[in-house]
Amino acid sequence: MTAINRTWDQLTVPGKALAIVIPLLAVLTLGLVLTIVLFGQQILDILIFNLPIVRFVFAVTILMLLFVPIAFLIIYMEMKIIALMNLRIGPDRVGPWGTLLSTVHGLKVLMKEDFTPTRADAVVFTWAPVVVFSTAVLSALVLPFAPGLIGQDFNIGLLYFFAIGGMTVVGLLMGGWSSFNKYSLLGGLRAAAQIISYEIPLTLSVVGLVILAGTMSLNSIVEQQGISGWATDWYAVRQPLGFLIFAIAATAEANRTPFDLTEADSEIVAGFATEYSGMRFGFFFFAEYINVFIISAITVVLFLGGWNAPFPVPHIEWMVNPGELGIGLLLLVMLAPVIGTLLLAAPVYLFRSQTRWWVALIIGFVLFNVVVGGLLSLWAYINFDWVAGLFWFVGKTFTLVFVFVWMRGTLPRVRIDQLMGFAWKWLLPASLLNLFVTAAAVLVIDAMKRGGS
Amino acid sequence: MATETPPRASGTPPRAYPIGTHPSDDDPNVLLVDDYEFYEPIPPYPPRTEREAEFYTLADGEMFLNLGPQHPSTHGVLRVVVKLDGERVVDIDPVLGYLHRGVEKLVENADYHQTISQVDPLEYISSLFCEWAPVTAYEKLLDVEVPRRAEYIRVLSGELNRIASHSLFLGWFALDLGGLTPILWSFIERDEIVEMLAALTGQRMLFNYFRIGGVNGDLNHDFMSRLGDWMSRAALQIESGIGLLNENEIFVRRASGLGIVDSEMAMRLCMTGANLRATGVPFDVRRAHPYSIYPELEFDIPTRTEGDSLARYLLRMEEIKQSLRIIDQCLDRMPDGPIMAKLPRLIRPRPGRAWSAVEGPRGLYGAYAISDGSDQPFRLKIHDPSFIHLQAVGALMPGNLLADTMAIMASLDPVMGGVDK
Repeated sequence: MTAINRTWDQLTVPGKALAIVIPLLAVLTLGLVLTIVLFGQQILDILIFNLPIVRFVFAVTILMLLFVPIAFLIIYMEMKIIALMNLRIGPDRVGPWGTLLSTVHGLKVLMKEDFTPTRADAVVFTWAPVVVFSTAVLSALVLPFAPGLIGQDFNIGLLYFFAIGGMTVVGLLMGGWSSFNKYSLLGGLRAAAQIISYEIPLTLSVVGLVILAGTMSLNSIVEQQGISGWATDWYAVRQPLGFLIFAIAATAEANRTPFDLTEADSEIVAGFATEYSGMRFGFFFFAEYINVFIISAITVVLFLGGWNAPFPVPHIEWMVNPGELGIGLLLLVMLAPVIGTLLLAAPVYLFRSQTRWWVALIIGFVLFNVVVGGLLSLWAYINFDWVAGLFWFVGKTFTLVFVFVWMRGTLPRVRIDQLMGFAWKWLLPASLLNLFVTAAAVLVIDAMKRGGS
Repeated sequence: MATETPPRASGTPPRAYPIGTHPSDDDPNVLLVDDYEFYEPIPPYPPRTEREAEFYTLADGEMFLNLGPQHPSTHGVLRVVVKLDGERVVDIDPVLGYLHRGVEKLVENADYHQTISQVDPLEYISSLFCEWAPVTAYEKLLDVEVPRRAEYIRVLSGELNRIASHSLFLGWFALDLGGLTPILWSFIERDEIVEMLAALTGQRMLFNYFRIGGVNGDLNHDFMSRLGDWMSRAALQIESGIGLLNENEIFVRRASGLGIVDSEMAMRLCMTGANLRATGVPFDVRRAHPYSIYPELEFDIPTRTEGDSLARYLLRMEEIKQSLRIIDQCLDRMPDGPIMAKLPRLIRPRPGRAWSAVEGPRGLYGAYAISDGSDQPFRLKIHDPSFIHLQAVGALMPGNLLADTMAIMASLDPVMGGVDK
């Protein structure tokens, strides 16, 4: 025993950690392998039997993992774009052009003290960020990212989205009420008033669309917008008023400028998040940016054609079957990188006398990777529907995210009475008008068709 | 409920509510984790005046909100206890003195020359005007003629400082209304002017530049080249900054009709400067009681009749253009000559009193100096426009929404350094 003790004492801290972790991992791996070998068939049967549940868990896990980098990207976008609009430089210290700053922010938030104020309702206070974050993730479950890439294709997907999205307000109200701070309370109540008011025009503005589409499945709605392949099929063209109302109400739903009254820093410090710190605040912060993404995504799905390209992309048959190449494949894999690197390095080396040969080789290698990456993406775009769909979907969504950020850099904040007046006096009648006009038009056209035939 | 607070016992720390006496203690809906006291903006002593007793008694559905002293938009360290009914402000109780330095007392124990640096930080946004008023008061006591070149330099640097102050106002006003961008655009003007004044005076913020009988240093090459460079594009640059806000529908809707002061009320509150001129009274000390070389210069006194926040904002932007005109004329007519009057090193003015006032960016900035014949002022009373204008907040805020109280305060443009002295 003494020998083991002595050896243990000689280890450094990482060494001790490894000495614990490696045997543990080995045991766990062994256990996993044994389980799979012994009960593999039964487990597989159970999983196949419960496929919807498995699919749900898998989708939620993927979405939660996916949303961290998306939120980081949007936070970085916002910092950098607003900085450029403010004639500042913005983040430029961590990583190239400051791109890692939001990651570092995330780590900082993790390390901060998780503080609960005196007399706060600790249980509600703790659960509020969880509610806000999980509603954001759950409402993304029905978003069709690309053909086949959808968490769950409900036939009432739109209803589900609004139902879950509306639950955000519960989390905000919980946070505002339980903080035992009047600023938080004001922020929470503002959030409740604002989100509930704007929920009505938001929902009514898409009823016209649902009448036209005849379905509430988001997947089908997107498919209907891609029938002719042109952007004229998009519902933004067929429902311009609905699109306008939806865009405004969605901005208010996501608590973004000019409707960011819930966290108006010049009025109520930080609104419902005033008393939050550490990762609980981080969840609020994440949820806000995820909401920006989701609101942009749902606008794209409903009105801007989802994954459809705005114009018909000519279909090219360019499927390379690696098996047909035979020995050529080996040569391609072996020779193409070398030749490509040399070819791309040659002009750099020849026409810039200061460049050393190895620097030129590195440049050539990087350029070769870029070219190959581009070619591969093109190949994937042409051959896989979901890659093409994802390309257009993400492109459109981030364009809308940019618009959100742009508005934040440009517009001042509206007042609470102006906000509520706008919702009830203008948006609600306009959305009702949109609904009635659409319904009447559908009836008239139907009657004409029937009369004509 | 607030009037029943127990009197302060000697030796024990003040408590708003002793343990177990808070109204929410019996409320089953409030979760009590422990019985630490928490902060209520109610003073820990029994009310001293009827007004205090009335204010600190809550009617049904009202609550106190403690704005400041560390609130993001109180322009320094002002604390306002706001009585709220929902979002609507019922009443306010400003609590001053967080920035009190006792300047007027410090000045009584300083040499006449030293007082200039003491009054400098009063309005740290536009400190040249804090110097200007006492310096001219001393000059009246001493009966000294200031050289014309010194007067021109004073007007030139003062108008530059006025532009810097007004452009900062533009940014803060927009920030209090929720706009992020104008503050950084307006800081460009302020920064360039401040850098150029630093080349002239040696300081970016607290210039300490005016002297009794003249100014500290003559115009130098660095200052003149920066000034010429800036003047060539100033009008365009300021126009672009103003353009961010003037045509913004949300901004105009929020600022117009907000915090309306009519001319009678403004006169009763002793308001001066842009806040008074926005109500239609063309009172400007530069024209009403001319001093320095202002009678020789051509410039207009812009006025507006609306008296709301938007009018105050637009008027200040108009004044920037007039200041540019004045700077042009100053540069055009700048005479040669000395920059200091001949004065003994140790100043002992004859016993007497002198009042002088200058038109600062916030209004009439006055100094009333009493000399007893020694080398230190017997008394220096400083009349600060920020303090006067902050009084209007009490009349303007009640009845408005919480968000608008910030906008009203920003549109009056107080500087807490001057308020608390």
